[in-house]
Amino acid sequence: MLSFALRRTLQAFAVLLAVSAAAFALFYAAPADPARAACGPRCDSGQVAAVRQSMGLDQPLLTQYTDYLVGVVAGRDIGDVDGSVIHCDAPCLGYSYRLHQPVTEALVDHLPVTLSLTAGALAVLLVLGLGTGFVSALRHGGRTDRLLSGFTLVGASVQIYFLGYVAQWALVYSTGLLPLPSYTPPGEDLAAWAGGMLLPWIVLGFVNSAVFARLSRSQLLETMNEEYVRTARGKGLGRLRAHLKYTSRGAAGPLVQLLGLEAGVLLGGAVITETVFGLNGIGRFAAEAVGGQDLPAVVGAVLLAACFVVLFVALADLAVAWLDPRIRLS
Amino acid sequence: MKSLVPSTSSRNPGSAAQPAGSTGPTGSVLSVRDLTVTFADPRGGTPVTAVHGLSFDLSPGEVLGLVGESGSGKSTVGLAVLGLHDPRTTTVTGSIRLDGRELVGAEESVLRGVRGGRAALVFQDALTSLSPFHGVGAQLTEMYRLHHPEAGRAEARRRAAAMLDRVGIPAARSGDYPHQFSGGMRQRVMIAMALMNDPQVLIADEPTTALDARVQRQVLDLLGELQREHGTAVLLVSHDLGVVAGTTDRTLVMRGGVEVESAPTAELLASPREPYTRALVGAALRLDSVPGTALPTVDDPSPSRTFRPRTAEQPERWLVEVEDLSVHFPGRRRLPSLRAEPVRAVEGVGLRIAPGETLGLVGESGSGKSTTSRVLAGLQRPTGGRVRYDGQDATRPDRELRRRLSREIQLVFQDPYASLNPRRTIAQTLDTPLRLHTSLDGAQRRERSAELLEQVGLPAGHLDRYPHEFSGGQRQRIGIARALAPEPRLIIADEPVSALDVSVQAQVLNLLMELRERLGVAFLFVSHDLAVVRHFCDRVAVMHRGRLVESTDRERLFSAPHTEYTRELLAAVH
Repeated sequence: MLSFALRRTLQAFAVLLAVSAAAFALFYAAPADPARAACGPRCDSGQVAAVRQSMGLDQPLLTQYTDYLVGVVAGRDIGDVDGSVIHCDAPCLGYSYRLHQPVTEALVDHLPVTLSLTAGALAVLLVLGLGTGFVSALRHGGRTDRLLSGFTLVGASVQIYFLGYVAQWALVYSTGLLPLPSYTPPGEDLAAWAGGMLLPWIVLGFVNSAVFARLSRSQLLETMNEEYVRTARGKGLGRLRAHLKYTSRGAAGPLVQLLGLEAGVLLGGAVITETVFGLNGIGRFAAEAVGGQDLPAVVGAVLLAACFVVLFVALADLAVAWLDPRIRLS
Repeated sequence: MKSLVPSTSSRNPGSAAQPAGSTGPTGSVLSVRDLTVTFADPRGGTPVTAVHGLSFDLSPGEVLGLVGESGSGKSTVGLAVLGLHDPRTTTVTGSIRLDGRELVGAEESVLRGVRGGRAALVFQDALTSLSPFHGVGAQLTEMYRLHHPEAGRAEARRRAAAMLDRVGIPAARSGDYPHQFSGGMRQRVMIAMALMNDPQVLIADEPTTALDARVQRQVLDLLGELQREHGTAVLLVSHDLGVVAGTTDRTLVMRGGVEVESAPTAELLASPREPYTRALVGAALRLDSVPGTALPTVDDPSPSRTFRPRTAEQPERWLVEVEDLSVHFPGRRRLPSLRAEPVRAVEGVGLRIAPGETLGLVGESGSGKSTTSRVLAGLQRPTGGRVRYDGQDATRPDRELRRRLSREIQLVFQDPYASLNPRRTIAQTLDTPLRLHTSLDGAQRRERSAELLEQVGLPAGHLDRYPHEFSGGQRQRIGIARALAPEPRLIIADEPVSALDVSVQAQVLNLLMELRERLGVAFLFVSHDLAVVRHFCDRVAVMHRGRLVESTDRERLFSAPHTEYTRELLAAVH
């Protein structure tokens, strides 16, 4: 266990280092000049050069990268466009010249929206995906199974921007069943928070539940024929109880792993969902940073997303090992 | 375990919760009349009748053997007694009375009380039949609580611990999971679980088939002791007459879903009435058969053919020489910094095979015999030692030698279901080695494939069929035909008959003996079955825990074994 945690932490560092380096290098390979972008269209070449110097963009790439890494660990001072020096606390993910704000601060501002969106969407995904998968498996081959399979297939084949607009039109504008999607901090007004997020949760959860439903159906069907399930029935357990206690446990591994990956990916920002429903989360922040050639913001968002994926995949592995004692963590 | 202890004599008070009831009209605890089980084909084809009009009685404390080959319907009977078939696809008719109560068509709630309560099951493979997710103690506890809902958790735990202790598993290990036990221990757990609620009937479906001979004996002895203590009636389902012979009072032979013959076991074995039973009895190899003779089969119950006697001589040049072979596998690392202790699968093994000779490699699971054969087949790189083939160093073969080895050494595998590609016809399967190792053109290769198929006793017309259209024995013949295709000098056969029924095993062994005589191929015959090895091999090497403990002529090994371990192995063969 200790060895697993140690190895995974080292692995996570290696992944994050590689991701940050790649993001850094790729952005510099692009033809756009961050200094010109930061300075604005009316700057002459002298002003651009001054901005470049104050931002540290005239340093060799490697120096900039190591400065960045030092900032992540210990914090650092960064020159703004106008030449003033700002102190950026650790973990410093750089300074956004577009927003005139440290990237870490900006990410923390946008994180609650994404956290709320992900948590609710995962709950919907779990209930819908596992529920339909379980019922489909129990009634496999029958009409219910075909109906549910068709239902989830619709989810998998419909794009979020389409379903989102249709659902918003049908449930909000036409009928007024749901309030207009918006984010209210749950600490302020819990009901408003849940009400405002309900539609995004349902849409994002439904669209992502198809894969989950299909995987859980096939996993359960496979596990149902395991001999230990037959033994459980032979002990006197009813069909449903045997499936709930034994079949589900046997089928859980790949589902938990998929769930972990899904959680990590969603926490990195659901760009389309956030855009469709006008939610200001990490996804939208990242999309705008790319549009505004805001290098530090982009690299910061990418690193945060990678962090989440690495973390949740490791958590999923732990959960799988806990569920199945035959698996050794290594 | 031949005893007739009345079923009520040693029941513990725990079972008083269930109605003991009167035994059936005939005094039997389980009475099956005209049982017919039919499975519907999910793809809408004709339904398959697995059991047809079967009747038998089981007296309290009696042990009845239910014997037959795969597909005879014997396992279906056991599952039908507990109503474990899927009612949507299975039709069960006739009558099954347990302690006078009808079970065919009974309510699910009635059946739930029977399952694990008054009738319990022991399956073949305890590793897959026990839950991998729960400790063994918890699984026994659940069994008890399901049928004693009034009993507390502590009471159930205490009983589970006592039962585990009875079958020789210390209380300290009751939290361990099935995969942490050896095969024999796991089967003990399975038996302990089945007896948790002191059932009147125990259905044991091939309870020892997956175990090594030595462990098999121990588990059967334990089952016998417990059966006597509890006075449980046992329905022992098996394909192995050897197991049935030493364990049961009466035996019922099944074939194709119907009864062939039923008699007291001793009588049935000594003077079987039906030709099929005679063939089954004759096909079961014992340690007193004449080695190298053709074995009786169902089609040919008294074969006249004998094969040329084989003598082991010192050859001019050994075909294969293995010296000081070792194979280590990386062990599990505790921490990233610590070096892991390697698993020494094979250590200091030396072997020699003369051209045309058959060497038997014997040992229990985990003895390293398969790993050794994998090195010879070029599938496993040795950690140390030397392998010579036909005088050349084959430890690190160059390109040319590797080509030659891949042509002259062929393999026959244990599982004829897993070792043939289900998506390729037999013609395609046989074509590949011919294309790789011969210069024949397409038409010639097809001709040669037909020839090979006939050589292993299958009609050439079957070339374009797929593996699933053949039975297990036929598939093993196809596997042998594939091995023969490039005209090898050595065939490595890893448990080639272990997965087959006794009568099919005899057919395949006859085929191998015939081919060996006709083609002069050398064999490395890996097996855990001493009776088969004795019948088929010229010399025998015995492995134990990765080391060679004995290597000598067949005669000498079986008449005067040198080591204690070999003697133990021999003693376990019934």
